[in-house]
Amino acid sequence: MNSLALDLKRDSALTLSQAAVGCEFQIKQVEGSACRQLREIGFCEQMRVKKITHGRNMLCTVCGTRLALSKDLADQIQVVPA
Amino acid sequence: MNSSSPEARIALVGHPNAGKTTLFNALTGQRQKVGNYSGVTVEKTSGEFFTPHGNRFELVDLPGCYSLSPNSPDEMVTRDVLLGVQEGEAIPDLVLCVLDASNLERHLNLLLQVIDLGYPVIAALNKIDQAEAQGLRLDPTALTETLGVPFVPLSALTEKGFVALKQSLRFPFPAPGDRHWHGSHAVEESLSSLEKVATEAGLEPPAAHALQLLSDPSYQDSDHLPEALREAAKKGPQLAGEISQVRGEFVHRAVEAGLRRPDEKALQLTDKIDAYALHRFWGWGFFSAIMLTVFWSIFRFAEIPMGLIEEAQGALGNWVGSFFAEGDFRDLLVDGVIGGVGAVVVFLPQILLLFFFISLLESSGYMARAAFLMDSVMSRVGLSGKSFLPLLSGYACAIPGIMATRSIPSAKERLATILILPWTSCTARLPVYLLLVPLLVSGTGAQTLTLFAIYALGTITALLAAKFLKPRLGPAEAPQFMLELPPYQKPDWGFILRQVWDRAFSFLKKAGTLILGISILLWFLETYPKSDSADPAAQREASFMGMAGKVIEPVVKPLGWDSRTGTAMLTSFAAREVFVSSLSISYAVDEEADGAEDKLRDRLASAKKPDGSPLFTPLAILSLLIFYIYALQCLPTTAVVKRETNSWKWALGQLGGMTLFAYLAALAVFQIGSLF
Repeated sequence: MNSLALDLKRDSALTLSQAAVGCEFQIKQVEGSACRQLREIGFCEQMRVKKITHGRNMLCTVCGTRLALSKDLADQIQVVPA
Repeated sequence: MNSSSPEARIALVGHPNAGKTTLFNALTGQRQKVGNYSGVTVEKTSGEFFTPHGNRFELVDLPGCYSLSPNSPDEMVTRDVLLGVQEGEAIPDLVLCVLDASNLERHLNLLLQVIDLGYPVIAALNKIDQAEAQGLRLDPTALTETLGVPFVPLSALTEKGFVALKQSLRFPFPAPGDRHWHGSHAVEESLSSLEKVATEAGLEPPAAHALQLLSDPSYQDSDHLPEALREAAKKGPQLAGEISQVRGEFVHRAVEAGLRRPDEKALQLTDKIDAYALHRFWGWGFFSAIMLTVFWSIFRFAEIPMGLIEEAQGALGNWVGSFFAEGDFRDLLVDGVIGGVGAVVVFLPQILLLFFFISLLESSGYMARAAFLMDSVMSRVGLSGKSFLPLLSGYACAIPGIMATRSIPSAKERLATILILPWTSCTARLPVYLLLVPLLVSGTGAQTLTLFAIYALGTITALLAAKFLKPRLGPAEAPQFMLELPPYQKPDWGFILRQVWDRAFSFLKKAGTLILGISILLWFLETYPKSDSADPAAQREASFMGMAGKVIEPVVKPLGWDSRTGTAMLTSFAAREVFVSSLSISYAVDEEADGAEDKLRDRLASAKKPDGSPLFTPLAILSLLIFYIYALQCLPTTAVVKRETNSWKWALGQLGGMTLFAYLAALAVFQIGSLF
């Protein structure tokens, strides 16, 4: 991948809390104080996640499981549109 | 071989909700509580079973965990048992890892961590029928090849695949495989240097300890490890993040090889229900409707069995009474034993109904939704939705509620939850409420609402107390909330009936032992010493109970109670239900004045003060209710709080604080109410 494409891809990354409801995303990076906890529950790099609702606690599905996630946890998950 | 000891020890490991407990019960035939939300399996449970090869194995059900890097005390137990550092626990010979086939990706991570520790492992692919119903196609052979351990598809609920599972437990167990992944140079270097220190310290197996220290920073603080090893791990590079990423990538590849997903992602039933059940407006309507239905049913449907129990109790009293001449012994049997125990047993149907509904909500998957909704309320008082689950169990009984707090990751939130939990009204208070509420209002609708208000008052005060306590318990923590919402499912009626039956049994046991004993004692204290007068009122005053009543009277008079109510309240510190038995025995002496009517409630309603005015005025009943909402009158709860907080300070402080609060609140209600 050339550097321009890489930049474009990085620019399109957003956190799960910013992501739009009803869309599917791929997890690009998990980073932050709770990243280990998040990876263990299923939020690993490359996994697909679907966001269901916004809110203080947002709902999403990852690997077929529904999870409620507080905003500060969702902020630690960076996603790109799948 | 010694025939009395099993040949090997197998540990059951898996996520909460993976069906570990169901599998355990099905294999060992032992009964145990199965829950739908995280953290129910907190006690150590073990059992035995035979394989088709005739081997006898011990099975240990370890607490559910998402990973071997623990976030709560119960998860720590699982990690420590597997590393062989849990006190008094032998190292397992094999790990049976339970995976939810419908959520394979998430569950493989834990499996990989167990394999990494160097155990022989068998992977039970549970809920295979559910996965197939979702259109998932699993390839156990491909998974076995990638991960190097046998995968056995099964369904713990229907016991499908059990023969294959038992056959795979062939003794002696296969040798464990090697680690499947390789980290960066830094990771591998740190691992081998930590392994060297662990070997020098004599820790077995050294490789597992080295890997755990590097991948789980909390293990570096474990008291079970030698100082030198902890120091070495802390000084070295911290590579936990890198390891979990490498593991995640490996799992992703394994899933690619062993799982085919359906292409179309149709909106499933769970999504359709959740669109309403979790809606910010409809969700609350749904929640309130469910709670109101529960309370309404408790009054409405229990009437029939309650009437039958009352009739049976009256008939039994007459029948037993007919065998004996009038005298103290007949009074002891009819008023003391049958009257005292019967007054409590009559509430059995209502208590069972409440348990039935709580189990039903748990089993159907709604409980986690309620926790999700409540998180927005709980967070305002510094708690989270995680505390709501223990608090909700508290409505059934404070003890399982307090034990369920072990699944709360934050120590501070856990302590605050334990301290406020007895203010969620448990079923032991229900007999008291059910006796008093109909004296206050009539009609099923009004009674349901009053009962609802009682529960709401306890809950709201508990939440306010949490808001007051939480900042005083320690430094602030960042709130982090993560909750799994299991799919809705058909209730497991077997599980519900077992729960209700267990509850009925333990309630009847309590009625037959503790409450029976106290009833006899109370009857004795009411009857002796004898006065010369034939007047029941004079006799009551002369008895031990009358004397105690005189002592307590100045304390309870400002609350609007008489001395008999005061002594009944004192006796209920042994168990709340005793209040009802105690009143029933105290007021049985008025029976002759009452004529034919012998129901306790009517007797209370017609009880008079010495000046002829009614004793149980609405205000006095209100003050009694307030006292019972707030008082902590349950010695087993205090014992469990001591055990869970490991401190008499919190346990006794809670007991004293809640009793004082109850007294002051009842005092305020009666005194302020009397002004109007």
